[in-house]
Amino acid sequence: MQPAAKFTQRKIIHVDMDAFYASIEERDHPEFKGHPLIVAQDPRKTGGRGVVTTANYIARQTGVHSAMNANEALKLCPNAIFKTPDFPRYREVSDQIHAIFHEYTDKIETVAFDEAYLDVTENKHHLHSAVQVAHAIQAEIFDQTHLTCSTGISYSKFLAKEASDFRKPVGVCVILPEDAHDFLMALPIERFRGVGKKTVPKMHELGILNGADLYERSQLALIHDFGKFGYILYQRVRGIDERPVEYQRERKSIGKERTYGPPLTTTGEVESQLERLAEMVATTVKQKQRHGKTLVLKLRDSEFNTITKRVTQPDFIPNDATTYYEMALEIYQSVATSDEQVRLLGITLTGLAPQTFEELKLPLFDPDR
Amino acid sequence: MKFSINRAAFIKELNNVSRAISSKTTIPILTGIKIVASDAGLLLTGSNADISIESLIRADDPDIGLTIDEPGAIVLTARFFSEIVKRLPEQTMTVTVKDAFQTEITSGSAAFNINGQDANNYPHLPEVDAADSVVLSGAVFKELISQTVIAVSNQESRPILTGVHFVLADNQFLAVATDSHRLSQRQIELPTPSSAAFDVIIPGKSLTELSRMIGDDDSDVKMQFSENQVLFLLGDTSFYSRLLEGNYPDTSRLIPKDASTTVEFEAPELLAAVERASLLSHESRNNVVKLTLTPADNQVTIFSNSPDVGNVEEALDPKEITGDDLEISFNPDYMKDALRSFGQTTIRVAFTSALRPFTLVPTEDTSNFIQLITPVRTF
Repeated sequence: MQPAAKFTQRKIIHVDMDAFYASIEERDHPEFKGHPLIVAQDPRKTGGRGVVTTANYIARQTGVHSAMNANEALKLCPNAIFKTPDFPRYREVSDQIHAIFHEYTDKIETVAFDEAYLDVTENKHHLHSAVQVAHAIQAEIFDQTHLTCSTGISYSKFLAKEASDFRKPVGVCVILPEDAHDFLMALPIERFRGVGKKTVPKMHELGILNGADLYERSQLALIHDFGKFGYILYQRVRGIDERPVEYQRERKSIGKERTYGPPLTTTGEVESQLERLAEMVATTVKQKQRHGKTLVLKLRDSEFNTITKRVTQPDFIPNDATTYYEMALEIYQSVATSDEQVRLLGITLTGLAPQTFEELKLPLFDPDR
Repeated sequence: MKFSINRAAFIKELNNVSRAISSKTTIPILTGIKIVASDAGLLLTGSNADISIESLIRADDPDIGLTIDEPGAIVLTARFFSEIVKRLPEQTMTVTVKDAFQTEITSGSAAFNINGQDANNYPHLPEVDAADSVVLSGAVFKELISQTVIAVSNQESRPILTGVHFVLADNQFLAVATDSHRLSQRQIELPTPSSAAFDVIIPGKSLTELSRMIGDDDSDVKMQFSENQVLFLLGDTSFYSRLLEGNYPDTSRLIPKDASTTVEFEAPELLAAVERASLLSHESRNNVVKLTLTPADNQVTIFSNSPDVGNVEEALDPKEITGDDLEISFNPDYMKDALRSFGQTTIRVAFTSALRPFTLVPTEDTSNFIQLITPVRTF
């Protein structure tokens, strides 16, 4: 089993910004440079709460990593600077970078603010070499934002991502179709995407330490041991990953939320805010010609507890603000406790599908029609 | 309390009463079945607060072999009690209540001892007076339920639409249900003139349970009402249901009076075609079937396309077709429910336009039974 030729002819670049948030902060605050920097709320000011969003490379050397408890990070790196994340700012920079991508191709799959796949098989500059495209993108990002990124180039998303990881930071790494096999054979099993904490011990137990060991296993054995993931691994280790760069990815949900300071304290206030949110969601949903089956209510109380609760209907929920409002209110009433303060309310419609049809309704409750 | 009874006869009544009992109730005593033994016989009661069912097993019915040795009352957990009774070894069984509501159930050499509860703690069933009552044949009533209950809403956002609207006036008995996408209306003229009049909304779920209890022997069903309850009397069984509160919307104005295109089909033939057409649409997120009518060519085509799966097209064979050309899309599930309610008969489908509701009626009686369906707007 080998990857089909039409897939190995693709040119996919994985762009991964180097320590994105931390780098933006260092750029905007030159005084941070050369010091360990942790992007998180300062645990000394929040009473120990907070989670590390990211850290610069100096802080990472002490063992700090993203998703770590901020207090723990402080213990590992007591002299670190803590900076509260500024997501609107990061989004702004991310948009700037996306604008650069669009100069080369519109086939962009955004994974996160700091990570994207680009299909440059055909590109706007008619460059034949993907390496040239990657270098040009890297240079232009640096020119415009003074931020660095690593790029990986190959014929599949899986290999492009592996490649970008390979020479971090500020690297460009290419895995050509003819080199893919050797690369994969030498790749430690932990590096295969999806092989995490749970799977690694099982792999080791089976004597699978790298790609070559994985390659030796039969397809049925892998399916037996790892289910659907085993089926995927069997393909990945053979360099098969036909997933396209999903540049037309559909939105899975549409939602609106608002934070309230001072918090809402009366049912009347909550009702009128829910009505407003329902109105906003309905407008966007109609504009995007989508409809969904699940409505989610998000609620944060004065203790900063955030509750989300969803209701799923067997049929698509009619796109009108009153229906959303009634559903949201019903959920609210089921979760709300008395004398509660509401700091945040959100209504999200998910399980979206393109609305190609609308079931008409009888005007039962508006006698004028 | 002590009684002996023929097990088969007892199981039948136990099953009936158990319909009202839910194991998921918030009121623990309602998970039980109440049994009252008196000289008249055994009175079984089950309830879930919305529906209550009471059945009398008469002591003087020789087929049931009931002997009351000692009158009394007990509440036993329905789930265990039913399972025990069904699995006992012999034809007859004996139930004896001992101290502290301990209840012994014996049959042959098997003996169960289960914990019962004080029957005095069981809620009282509502009093429903006989002022306004109606008597219908069981078969007619069962048909009426099956024809209308399909259109009730299963969404609690408009509770009133989860019921069937019953109106009795001028000797005409009218039943209407709608979930706002379709509507079903059936009218019956009472066989015997009655001065009774009422306007109530009965929960669809209650009617579904009730219709399962109406036997095929076509014995009469008597309905009577109180402020917020309806009572159905079927022989020795009483079926109580809560009524839905509120005003049912005026539905008469929704039924179109004119038509620009009409077509007649054998209901089963159209049903089979719609079922075929919906095979693929059900799998996709496009649950829509399109009908194209060309009266001049005597043609009707049914079509459905599901981008992920495939498409289907079929030329239908209408019995009669008149009026303007029309292309109309609808949810096939509504159409299937409606067509099934007609059984083996010829129906007339009347359309006014692609975005207006259309109606289905039996050709042999066009005024007493109507199904209305709203179309689907496609983009």
